[in-house]
Amino acid sequence: MNWPLLSLLVFSPLLTAALLWCLPRRAARWATAAGMLLTLALSSALPLAYDPSGPRFQLLEQAEWIAGLRVQYLLAVDGLSVLFPASTALLFLGALVAAWNRDAGDSRLYFSLLLGLESATLGIFCAHDLILFFVFWELTLIPVYFLLGRWPVTGGGAAVASRYFLIMIAGGVPLLIAFVIAGSGSSGFDLGALLAAPLPAERQWLFFLLCLIGFGLKVPLVPLHTWLPQFALAGPGALTALLVGLKLGAFGLLRIAMPLAPFVAQELHWLLVGLGTVSLLYGAVGMLAQSNLRVSMAYASICHVGLAVLGLASCTAQGVQGAVSLLLSFAVATGGAFLLLEFLRQRTGSTDIHALGGAARTMPLLATGFLICGLAGVGMPGTSSFPGEFLLILSALERHTGAGMAALFGLSIAAGAFLSLYRKAFFGPVTRPEVAQAEDLRPREWAVLVVLIGMVVVIGVYPGPWIDLLRPAAEAWAAGLSR
Amino acid sequence: MSGGFSEILWHQQATLPLLAVLQLLPLAGAGLVLALGERLLAVRMGKVVALAELLMAAWVAAHIDSASPAFQLAERLPTLAYHVGVDGIAIVFILAAALLTFLMTLYGMSRGMISPGRLFAVLLVAETGFIGMLVALNVAWFAVFSLIELWSVVYLLRRWASSRAEIQALARFIQYQGFGWLMFAAGCVVLGWGHAEATGGRWSFDLFDLTGALPEGKFQTAAFYLLFYGLAVRTPLFPLHGWLPNMAQHGLIAVAPALMVGVKVGIFGMLRFVLPLTPAAVATWQPYVVGFAMAGVFFTAALAFQQTNLRRLLAFAVVSHTSLLVIGLFSLHEAGIQGAVLLSANFGLAVTGMWFIVGFVFRRTGTTELGELSGLFERIPFLAIAFLSFGLAIVGMPGTPGFDAAHLILEAAIDRFGALSTVATALGNVAAAGFLLWAFQRAFLSQARTGGLDVDRTLPMEYVVVGVALAAMLAIGFFTEPWLQLTEAASHVAAMRFVQ
Repeated sequence: MNWPLLSLLVFSPLLTAALLWCLPRRAARWATAAGMLLTLALSSALPLAYDPSGPRFQLLEQAEWIAGLRVQYLLAVDGLSVLFPASTALLFLGALVAAWNRDAGDSRLYFSLLLGLESATLGIFCAHDLILFFVFWELTLIPVYFLLGRWPVTGGGAAVASRYFLIMIAGGVPLLIAFVIAGSGSSGFDLGALLAAPLPAERQWLFFLLCLIGFGLKVPLVPLHTWLPQFALAGPGALTALLVGLKLGAFGLLRIAMPLAPFVAQELHWLLVGLGTVSLLYGAVGMLAQSNLRVSMAYASICHVGLAVLGLASCTAQGVQGAVSLLLSFAVATGGAFLLLEFLRQRTGSTDIHALGGAARTMPLLATGFLICGLAGVGMPGTSSFPGEFLLILSALERHTGAGMAALFGLSIAAGAFLSLYRKAFFGPVTRPEVAQAEDLRPREWAVLVVLIGMVVVIGVYPGPWIDLLRPAAEAWAAGLSR
Repeated sequence: MSGGFSEILWHQQATLPLLAVLQLLPLAGAGLVLALGERLLAVRMGKVVALAELLMAAWVAAHIDSASPAFQLAERLPTLAYHVGVDGIAIVFILAAALLTFLMTLYGMSRGMISPGRLFAVLLVAETGFIGMLVALNVAWFAVFSLIELWSVVYLLRRWASSRAEIQALARFIQYQGFGWLMFAAGCVVLGWGHAEATGGRWSFDLFDLTGALPEGKFQTAAFYLLFYGLAVRTPLFPLHGWLPNMAQHGLIAVAPALMVGVKVGIFGMLRFVLPLTPAAVATWQPYVVGFAMAGVFFTAALAFQQTNLRRLLAFAVVSHTSLLVIGLFSLHEAGIQGAVLLSANFGLAVTGMWFIVGFVFRRTGTTELGELSGLFERIPFLAIAFLSFGLAIVGMPGTPGFDAAHLILEAAIDRFGALSTVATALGNVAAAGFLLWAFQRAFLSQARTGGLDVDRTLPMEYVVVGVALAAMLAIGFFTEPWLQLTEAASHVAAMRFVQ
């Protein structure tokens, strides 16, 4: 492989964004779509270029960046991260198409910000240097701030945008300090070198706890979750789909926090179990109390990411394999559910169950699609979440039986809550004129849906190849922890 | 070699006494512009001289050897006690000063000031003051140049002052700065006297001589207090910042505050004179200085949230981030000092850029009250995005020069003060992000009020002024390496005195 595939991948959206400003305004949308398709093609090439039986980190690119601080430009993927860019690219394309002629019209700024966010997100998944990771991590905030602040769905979007920005930048402080602590040894900020030579135990404590705060905010883990429901309500659907669908926080935990502090991650497994279980139960019970489908899906995501953290806490290959496949499935299923809710909102002006009722009568396709995505969200067998969820529950029951039982209980509450909300919104008599007049999915929306649901079903029915792709890296991950 | 310092004389490195040229060029330019009066040519000459000075500064930067810790291109003239030289740290400040003056000449044009010829002449005088301070290796010369620079700001404030509030702000400014300057001058006298005592009656204010015979005990403490407080007023460091908010709100918009805080000569003075000349006192008083600075980060952030005027709010942003610089400097750690130097340049550039944008907004709306501004993003998106980018640079967002510098300061602070106080300080910086975002949201992002102001689109000149500042910032942000190399040797020397 002579091409710098990862650099091309990470920077192709950014180059597209630069190109937009040279093109006429009318062409901006199509140019963005073309750029995102190219990114999708590049990201789909990653799993093909990656050899699961080879060394763990592949497609490595290295360049000096800031030698004085021992910061390098390092990109690499391993089996755990190799599929994330593809799901990211797919979700961004879906988000673009979902808001095709809504929101921002032809604004080049809107498309540039979306593309900038894509670049930064891809960068997070590919970065192999802590500081580079942090740079991408923080750079995601600016596009989100503008997208939410400029094109909110409800009033007060700008205030929510500011709050999100400040919470996340405050979360960046412990992260940066943790990274500086990790990088003060002889190996600099190179993730590979840091994995090979773990930190001294006393520094691991500080590193891990600071990371837990920083990543926990983004995950979000209860009690650091308060920004998410508000965000889901005020954010444009496409943006919420991106932020909720892509679980950057959990990725940070499994990529950086746990492997770099293996000793403390083992010692504090009870803390992770506790946080995961509390998030899971809290999210499930929170769903029960909601009347707005968007907020309830936000709580569902808190619930499921809690499960992923619980699986990580088992420190086994099975656990991390399950967590990664659940996170990937999320990108498709939860992302798809939010896009469908955005379609629904565009039609009826609301996603509150009191303003809906009987929506399945006028919009059968939308209702079916939402059901499939929602069921994938609760881990129905035959959907993409099931393999991951199954592995997670197994590993949790094995390592922390009580927490595993609680997780099973929480998941059944979540499934019940989802079905109850679904019944109220989509079945029963049609009472509202907006619902009665709404038309079903248009071809463009239909196309988005078919791709996403196709992924949900195919992965759910035939998970073998995906799980195999993850296995060697997951085993290396677990071996690294149990040293 | 004298007192730990060494120097390389100019004729070993260049064919011209570059530093003398660097100081005389803006002075000559000022005379020329003044002589031309209010003709169009005067304005053009002003810009040309400012640009020439910037190129000259870049030339000087190219001439020095950054790997050497010595003062370079040094010039001595014993009859006048004239002694100048630059190291990597001074070069960073000189480049920042030259760039800012050049941007200010562009800005002055685009704002359409009254009597631009006179304005440009005063700007060039101020630049002479800056460069003089930044190259001086004699503490008395530093004081004299600082007086020249202060005079030019007072002149600007006085000439364009009309209302009662403006005159009051001017009076406050003169009181504070006059007092600060007198403290500094008294500190110089103590140092000179100490030298005379030690050498049998020979007075000297030369940095090299003074480090050879440091004042003892109480003398050193007194000298530290006088010099430090004099510079703290100038910087301004909480709680001595009282002159800045009033001046920012009522003074000549953008130019006057940018001259006072765009180039961090206060920080430079502490680094150049206070740290080497009173090392024992610095080590003794370090915890108090850092404690005050940490409190200042939070206190001023809290005050900034109370402000209703954008110009006043920016003044508090300056005080807040100055505290961070002082923390970096007084970590007495190589990385911290280097970070403080880079961050000074970054903050100066970013704050000046923000002040320019506020000036452009004021030209359109006639107000900087946050309650009256709304929906500016729709009309001037470029200026809005630039305003936010400068704001993020102050906070140390990755991709701006602030990030690597803040990283260095954090590294030093973790080493010296532990992780928890470092987290606290960095969260203070997040508070700064908070009030800047809050202001941005109210002025730029909010819905335009019906019947609100009809705002002009961005003008070409505004694109240039803001674009140059922004491009410089982003370029430095992603290519920090040369700047780190430039400042490394000099920071190492500065920190060597305090190895524990």
